[in-house]
Amino acid sequence: MPRWGMVIDVKRCIACWGCTIACKEEHFLPPGVFFNRVLIGESGKFPSSSKLIYPILCNHCTDAACVEACPTGATYVREDGIVAVDDDKCVGCRACLVACPYQQRTYYDQKTKDREYFPGQGKTEMELLGEKLYPLKVGTVIKCNFCSERVDAGLKRGLIPGKDDDATPACVNACPVGARIFGDLDDPDSEVNHLIMEKKGKQLRKEFGTEPAVYYID
Amino acid sequence: MKELNELEKIMFRSSGNGLKPYEWMVLPTRQQQWIDDKGIFLWLAFFFSEIGAGLYFVSMFYEYKAGLILGWLITLVLGGFIHVLYLGKPMRAWRMIMKPQTSELSRGIWIIGIYAVFGFLQMVTGSFNIVLNTISGILCLLIISHGFATMNVVRALPAWSSTMVLPLSIVSGIWVGQQVLQFMVAVSGSAAMASGMEIWAETFFFAYFLCVLLYAWGTYHSDDIGKASIVMQATDDELKKITWIGVGGLGIVLPLLFTLIMWGGDTNGVLIFLRLACVFAGDLALRYVIMKSALYKPLLTRQ
Amino acid sequence: MTYKTDEIWEDKWVNTTCGVCYCGCAARVRVVNGMPVKIEGIKESTMGGTGAGLCGKGIAGLMYYHDPSRIKKPLRRTNPEKGFGVDPKWKEIEWEEALEEISTRMKKIMADNPNKILFTNQTNRASDGPHNHLYFYAKAFGIPNNGNFIIGGGSLHCGNAAHMLGGLIHGAWSIAPDWRYTNYVLKWGSSKGTGSGHSAMTNARLRADGIRRGLKEIVFDPMGNFAGGKATQWVGILPGTDTAVGLAIANYILNTRGEIDELYLRAKTNFVYLIREDGTFVRDEETDKPLVYDENEKKIKLFDDPSMAFEDFALEADCEYKGEKCRPCFMALKEHLKKFTPEWASKISTVPVATILDVAKGWVDNAQIGSTITIEGQTFPYRPVSSVTFRGSQGHSNGIHQVAAIDLISQLVGAEDVPGGTMGWPSIRRKYPGGQYERLPKVGKDGVIVPSVFYSHDPWPVHSPSYPCTNSGCVEFWSHSTLSHIPYVKEKDYIQEKFGVKNVQPEMIFGISVNFLISQADWSAALDNFKDCFVVQSDIWVNETDQAIGDIILPDTCYLEKDTWSSEIDSFFFNGSPSNEDWYVHLQNPVAKPIGESRDFMNVYLDVANRVGVLDKYHDLLNDYYSITDERLQLKHGEVLTWKEIGERVLEWVYGDDKEKIQEQGFATWHKPIEDVYWRWNMPTRCPVYMEFLIHDRRAAEKIIKDTGFELEMDMDQYGPLPNWFWPTSHKELDDEYDLLAFSYRDVLHTNNSTFQNPLVDEVSQMSPYTFTITLNKGLADKKGFKDGDIIWLENKYGVKENGIVKTMEAQHPKVIGICGQGGLWADGRPIAKGKGSNFCKLLPSYLRHYDPITGNIETSVAVKVYKD
Repeated sequence: MPRWGMVIDVKRCIACWGCTIACKEEHFLPPGVFFNRVLIGESGKFPSSSKLIYPILCNHCTDAACVEACPTGATYVREDGIVAVDDDKCVGCRACLVACPYQQRTYYDQKTKDREYFPGQGKTEMELLGEKLYPLKVGTVIKCNFCSERVDAGLKRGLIPGKDDDATPACVNACPVGARIFGDLDDPDSEVNHLIMEKKGKQLRKEFGTEPAVYYID
Repeated sequence: MKELNELEKIMFRSSGNGLKPYEWMVLPTRQQQWIDDKGIFLWLAFFFSEIGAGLYFVSMFYEYKAGLILGWLITLVLGGFIHVLYLGKPMRAWRMIMKPQTSELSRGIWIIGIYAVFGFLQMVTGSFNIVLNTISGILCLLIISHGFATMNVVRALPAWSSTMVLPLSIVSGIWVGQQVLQFMVAVSGSAAMASGMEIWAETFFFAYFLCVLLYAWGTYHSDDIGKASIVMQATDDELKKITWIGVGGLGIVLPLLFTLIMWGGDTNGVLIFLRLACVFAGDLALRYVIMKSALYKPLLTRQ
Repeated sequence: MTYKTDEIWEDKWVNTTCGVCYCGCAARVRVVNGMPVKIEGIKESTMGGTGAGLCGKGIAGLMYYHDPSRIKKPLRRTNPEKGFGVDPKWKEIEWEEALEEISTRMKKIMADNPNKILFTNQTNRASDGPHNHLYFYAKAFGIPNNGNFIIGGGSLHCGNAAHMLGGLIHGAWSIAPDWRYTNYVLKWGSSKGTGSGHSAMTNARLRADGIRRGLKEIVFDPMGNFAGGKATQWVGILPGTDTAVGLAIANYILNTRGEIDELYLRAKTNFVYLIREDGTFVRDEETDKPLVYDENEKKIKLFDDPSMAFEDFALEADCEYKGEKCRPCFMALKEHLKKFTPEWASKISTVPVATILDVAKGWVDNAQIGSTITIEGQTFPYRPVSSVTFRGSQGHSNGIHQVAAIDLISQLVGAEDVPGGTMGWPSIRRKYPGGQYERLPKVGKDGVIVPSVFYSHDPWPVHSPSYPCTNSGCVEFWSHSTLSHIPYVKEKDYIQEKFGVKNVQPEMIFGISVNFLISQADWSAALDNFKDCFVVQSDIWVNETDQAIGDIILPDTCYLEKDTWSSEIDSFFFNGSPSNEDWYVHLQNPVAKPIGESRDFMNVYLDVANRVGVLDKYHDLLNDYYSITDERLQLKHGEVLTWKEIGERVLEWVYGDDKEKIQEQGFATWHKPIEDVYWRWNMPTRCPVYMEFLIHDRRAAEKIIKDTGFELEMDMDQYGPLPNWFWPTSHKELDDEYDLLAFSYRDVLHTNNSTFQNPLVDEVSQMSPYTFTITLNKGLADKKGFKDGDIIWLENKYGVKENGIVKTMEAQHPKVIGICGQGGLWADGRPIAKGKGSNFCKLLPSYLRHYDPITGNIETSVAVKVYKD
């Protein structure tokens, strides 16, 4: 069984927000909801300061704080390492949301559902269609699922996640500078593993002890 | 909360955390789920289960049945019901018993369930035997600390995972419970009993005071983010009023004053009531600021 | 992807071209039930990012289709009053009424003087499809020289100087590093490869691969954000002072190190041409050709004498021609550069001397002068160093000298259009196999390249300033401006009167989604200059310009509804890959049906041309433009066709039998041979790095100025053949009160101001710290008593002010204030955009002295004072 993971090459990233917006379109997310974001800041002092750009998403941690906190078992780690939410089991207690040190979860309530991209002008047909194409359940917690529906459907068709676009997370496909690489962390020959080894991949805030499956290389 | 400037309001969607969207998780970012908007239910739910269990706990020592019943009801009806109301899918609340092995919240539900049964037995039988008392007592202490324990396991929030959170929680639960009982006793006409309870009031008050100080000191010195939380409690535009007036004034200074007036058992109903009101407000304020000031560590750092 | 229900009757992907900025990246769109719901790149095409990658705003483009604020019927202003804050009192009218009114007015004006009609467009595909066709559409109305073409959305800040030099040196619109082979890149205020400029995502992809390969990038920029923030080294510099550093580096290369690519300079530049004492070329009396000195035969010869080997051209010699002393102009350069020491440059630019020397040393060390590389069996010089600029550093009143100095660095080491060096966008467009359309540059006068395509007048051969001028742009006098600045200049009336422009007071403007009132400079000057015109715009919304002065607004289709077969055919030199990659040419296929009664502006253009009676002429121009000689495919007189019908013929001409396959696929691709990538080496052309023509232009211009009694301040010393140092106007206006320089830059998220109305872009803009804010150096903010989140005002010397929210940065020069893009919008027709960001453009004063006297580039930095309320 593979364990899916991602490498983000911050040296390549130009903070164009392609990942963020592609993810929103893929999942028809309402305004204000993000499964992908880009954090931008600086380190150091003038004149030798440098810009920091970190695209972030759910880390699909092996020892996920959210899974631990979930009282119902709705949040769970799949065999392939993807941290998923079963929205039939989620009671909306938001313990996971509070527990996640990376703050990668969103509580989807009626207020969120009612938000319009063009406020006061009604929902566009696309937003209404999105609710059918990618239904989200009010009162539950939603999050990045490494596009598991793409991965699963792709695998069924014999495609390789990380290589074939139809089996790969939307944010990976969308990146115009190839800064995202998706693959199997358990396969020693996978590109992700090579990159992690060669470029000394680091997990974001490793000290939280959750063992993220997303690595950053510089 | 700082009044947002017009320009800022137009340009940036407010997420209610006092940060601009580009500062989210770049600067220390406040926990909102369990206090803002409907999150206020959780604050109340944790408070009520705590004082209910506190009242039950103290009532057992005095074999005071009315306190037992009231405590049991407060915990289950007010604490439990409000918590269920907070859920996104209240009808599925039963599912929360599914993960006691890892989830503090799930464990809490189990404990409340067991407590409901044992409490009911104790109330019906009116029995205060050592076995039942021990079991109920342990259950009460667990419930008192349930809210803060659920928060305490969140490692990402130093203001909650701080060492003193649990002792503070237990002491404050017993202290408020004791005050409710003392008041019940006083209004039910047992002035002597109420006066006799004052020695415990003095003890719990000082224990509570000490715990609050130790919490603040410990969290301040835990790390940058814990320190920021304490600073926020003391200086944030909204929180500082609640901290200084609510926690400091109502929770500590006035109860201290009343306690000194009644020192040695010189109690009277009015003062007991006033002190209870202050302690109530003070404890609510304390829980509020602790919940509201919990900050996540920023993610943006050179790795 | 998987949650399909019975209600889904269509779910497909359509290939098209992105229309959110002018880069034209490959895009495929997921269409569900006739609606675009997702956009990504096309993996099979190199037009754009890695794999199916596309930038954020490109992906967000589908909101143009869904925006409920789009106009669906033509609008007519009913309030005759015009101006900022005036309600136009729009009334919906029928298309017929609108087109009839437009054409009637046009006919009337044309009977008088067609030059009274101004045309303008937005370099933003969101609503503009084939943006290049507008230039010669104007010609159909009898308007020559683009003099009546006013700059639109790309604005005056864009590349008048960069285009001029790109055209002269590379036969190209713009320049970029040869990412695939370069090792050391100097970027001067340019964000090429990090999000902006031409072929933005193509460059970003190539750059990212280069960076991973170990390429070093040094960015000179007032701020370390898009380019500087990603650079190997960011060097904070004062705006408009790049020339000083560039000249100091050139001086180091030539005089300190003395390591230059002599063979290149002898073979490919005009530095070998002989000049007299006064700096002008010594020409052969009979042929008028410049002369050179043959070192081998010790003889003066014509510059193109076939008997000479490249090695024979003398760079240094003292000779005499017909009794007059002369020498190669290279010698003049050598002497000229001596005064530009690093210490001097440091004082002007604030860049430390050690940094200048380090960068210069790195440049020479990396240039590998003398080395060669063999690619696809052909050997070329290998110079893996590149020095590039674009909008930022060239946007100054000394713009031409900025770009010339930056170019000189590459010239000296021979790093021009060779592997690893500074490349122009492709100057050559080969035929598609089996097709017909081919564009090749020519070698013009004095051996200088004449570009195969150029959007406005060709940069070569140059025309000396002349007078009287015939159009409102006065392009006869400002003969080097890519698009004229004069219509926006505060003293426009005076200039036109002095230069003899008669009877061309503009009466009508026909624009394509342009926001020209607020995106250039001083808003009130623009309002004064245009408010009396009858303004017609084709747009998807009512923007600020429309609300202030628009008379008829026609609902345009957005790019997702357009059938713009022409979008890329001739954009090879605008959107193609500047590095060694195959040809990719894209079509803009419609992915959805037009909204409401909206019509593609090209069809409106054709309709108007027909009504006005110039359609036949336009057909002729199209036949000519695409060189269609097949009678069957030619557009004939009397035919009335839609843009799509015209496309059917042109595409058959261009792609032959593969037409349908390409239409279906959405793009064409074929091999670009290596000799077309590095075309210069095999073409006998010479870069006019010694701009001798400017000496003659100066004489001509000064005569006109004297003859006409023209009294406005213009720095005529800038008309010199070699890059030289001139203080930008903004620096001259600095004093104790107005002590800071405000500047602007492009944000990867935004295209001019149209993207501000996109809610997907809007929400990520809010998460981007520098997009809606005014940035300043942290130390400066502390000194001024500002902190993050404060509201501050910027005010220029002319009383124009703008406010915004402070965001402090470490990586910003402590003497500058930064505002990105074109925010500060207020049109009611674009509610998402309204109130977002701050507007920088309005702060730019628009007196003639704020413009580059040669290219007409506006000074894009401005002296301001900064204060809190």
